[in-house]
Amino acid sequence: MKVLIIIPAYNEELNIVKTVEDVKTNTKYDYVIINDGSKDKTKEICEKNHFNLVSLPINYGLTSAVQVGMKYALRNNYEIAIQFDGDGQHQAKELSKLVKEIENGEDIAIGSRFVTESKPRSIRMLGSNLITGIIRLTTNKTIKDPTSGMRAYNQDTIEELVSNSGLSPEPDTLVYMLKNKKKIKEVQVEMKEREFGESYLKPLKAMKYMISMFCSILFIRSFTKKK
Amino acid sequence: MSVTLRIILIISSILSFVLCVRKIKKSELKIENSIIWLLGSMLLILMSIFSKAVTWISTQLGFEAPVNFVWMCAIGFLLIELFLDNIRISNLNEKIKNLNHYIALKENEEKKGNE
Repeated sequence: MKVLIIIPAYNEELNIVKTVEDVKTNTKYDYVIINDGSKDKTKEICEKNHFNLVSLPINYGLTSAVQVGMKYALRNNYEIAIQFDGDGQHQAKELSKLVKEIENGEDIAIGSRFVTESKPRSIRMLGSNLITGIIRLTTNKTIKDPTSGMRAYNQDTIEELVSNSGLSPEPDTLVYMLKNKKKIKEVQVEMKEREFGESYLKPLKAMKYMISMFCSILFIRSFTKKK
Repeated sequence: MSVTLRIILIISSILSFVLCVRKIKKSELKIENSIIWLLGSMLLILMSIFSKAVTWISTQLGFEAPVNFVWMCAIGFLLIELFLDNIRISNLNEKIKNLNHYIALKENEEKKGNE
């Protein structure tokens, strides 16, 4: 199947080359970098290295960046789209596992840190556990690593993500997909700690993130079905 | 309703009316968007002219003072306007986002065509 790797990047001048080289050497899939209006030299670096770049003129957040990647996938007839973080945490050699799951008929495959490994104890992981709990409460399904940014989608779910702009690449979308009878499978992958730059999810924003996830999962996504 | 309140209502409604008309003339405000404010200021004038009616309605509804009824109307009006504005902002957001996507995808295609 035709596979596209979507690499959203916001101010990732220190990580982006390494990430793309990793993707190029360790996979045979196509890739596209989504520069989300970075203020640093991300765009220039990508152009200099002749990377396949879709550069958004205005910073609009991760949801929009992933969505434009999905639009690109649809326009170019890709059958599988994988979200792959440009910050050096994800490893390209793990991606074939996700592709295999989609080829076996899953709708979404998540690269998870905790299928066979156990979760470390930290405040971040407490948040992750809470989201896992609330997903189980609303859908009866267990997703051990709901916040993982490494996700593969099949063509149906790509179309869904493009047409429904309320869907973000976050755990509440997983609830929506589960409620719409999509099959989600987690695959154990190895991830690294990020090396340079700031994460999309700063500690101060974590609280706001948790509250919006809870509200969205409990009050909106558990009830919204496809029209 | 006290005379002071009536005067305040009349003055503020006239001021908002004049402001609306001026902004429309300078085309900083669209007529569709300004109608709600013109209606609102006319309602204020009506309330201050027919203050007896306002007093009657507010006692019928069980308000302790007519002025509370006037505030409630104003707050209700503002809440509805705010909510409608929120919807408008969301729509605009969506449009800008799509435009943003369009520009980026177009640029990518053009670059590929050149190579």
